[in-house]
Amino acid sequence: MGKRVAIIGVGNSRFGKRDDVSIQELAWESIKEALNDSGLSQKDIGLVVVGSTAYRGVELYPAPIVAEYSGLTGKVPLRVEAMCATGLAAALTAYTAVSSGLVDVAMAIGVDKMTEVDTSTSLAIGGRGGNYQWEYHFYGTTFPTYYALYATRHMAVYGTTEEQMALVAVKAHKYGSMNPKAHFQKPVTVEEVLKSRVISWPIKLLDSCPISDGSATAIFASEEKVKELKIENPVWITGVGYANDYAYVAKRGEWTGFKATQLAAKQAYEMAKITPNDVEVATVHDAFTIAEIMGYEDLGFTEKGKGGKFIEEGQSERGGKVGVNLFGGLKAKGHPLGATGLSMIYEITKQLRDEAGNLQHPLKKYIGLVHNVGGTGHFAYVMILRR
Amino acid sequence: MQVDAIPLALRYKIQYPDEFINAIKRGEILATKCKNCGATYFPPQRDCYNCGKNEMDWVKIDNEGELMTYSIVFQKPQGFENYDNYVIGIVKTKDNISLMVWIKGEPKVGTKVRLTTDGIRLIGEVIK
Repeated sequence: MGKRVAIIGVGNSRFGKRDDVSIQELAWESIKEALNDSGLSQKDIGLVVVGSTAYRGVELYPAPIVAEYSGLTGKVPLRVEAMCATGLAAALTAYTAVSSGLVDVAMAIGVDKMTEVDTSTSLAIGGRGGNYQWEYHFYGTTFPTYYALYATRHMAVYGTTEEQMALVAVKAHKYGSMNPKAHFQKPVTVEEVLKSRVISWPIKLLDSCPISDGSATAIFASEEKVKELKIENPVWITGVGYANDYAYVAKRGEWTGFKATQLAAKQAYEMAKITPNDVEVATVHDAFTIAEIMGYEDLGFTEKGKGGKFIEEGQSERGGKVGVNLFGGLKAKGHPLGATGLSMIYEITKQLRDEAGNLQHPLKKYIGLVHNVGGTGHFAYVMILRR
Repeated sequence: MQVDAIPLALRYKIQYPDEFINAIKRGEILATKCKNCGATYFPPQRDCYNCGKNEMDWVKIDNEGELMTYSIVFQKPQGFENYDNYVIGIVKTKDNISLMVWIKGEPKVGTKVRLTTDGIRLIGEVIK
């Protein structure tokens, strides 16, 4: 077991279609906020990891560009990528640098500018988020198709309904409309979700997260450094978990949940010495509405097959059993792939510090969880955060 | 000010095993099976990660299976714009091999399908 690691600074840019900035300017928005939040400056950071999928922006190798623009040149030896879980992959890399004792302070920056390319190209890139040679090439998969395969099976096996999935979107948009940094600022109704255009049945347009631009940054420090800097509000990372699953989706054997999430969650809970019942507030990877329903089950918030009921009963609302995606989730806050996992850390850090304003979930134990999935269960990361 | 950036055209060439593509043209679906330990691979592999050997036999896959799940693709990606809406399914055979296919006929989870090809890709025909 390595050293204890705390999050001592977080930042989150406004998410959305950000034609107004370049990728380096977008990254700086969250870097600056995180530096201010921690009270540190660039010279205090020992290692910086940039998480970016980059495929949809003109800058295919953004790390040196982001580093230069932000005064971090010399500290950024790598970019990491794990599809939609790129943000938590970057966070894990920074965490391990501190935990191992390599550096006292590390930063993870997540950034993607996905709207620089046209939507059709973006979909083609997403549709390769499996195995091009044996899937896309022959069958023309799209990214929604992969999640739709899980939705159809979940509906058939557990009786999950399109209405229950729509409730996930309704919840996300409700909280997104209360978060000025969210991509979508308007509430939606169940009827609007059900009537929206079919993308890959049973997934409809309003079951899907948007293609977003955004950045988020977190700063990680060792316990000694936290004491030395007299950080008043550290949020400790007490558990981490990671796993992956087959690229060729048919090989997985079951399509009602993500084995990668189940494995990552088990690892994180064991390390943190808690059970799912201890988690009070969480971000659950909701790229599509079915993903959040499966996430409730895979993370152990409810029994297998009861995810639809969990949302229906309001258990994942603010003030419910587990407050889930209270800043709007991927669904409404937006999903700039590299930024998402770090935006989740931003969100749970704010919650655990009681700084979430009108989106604050009532906490007793001050235990939060972040869950970031890459691809369609190709990667999964779970982190347990405590104040 | 927004300006057009220089487009990036990516042109790829990729390799498939001759045996596999020729079998599809005949309407057959092949997997590989390790001569040493018997592990079966779909997608086919040249190398066996189970025992580390690389001598494989091409074996025919059972042509009947169960439709485990499916999705109907309305919004089609690049390269597929000219197709009508198509149904992507996962079919599990009696030998416990699961494959991605296009489904022909009325899809329903749990229904029996016959595995074949249309000369280009794997097809699962719903058995009435």
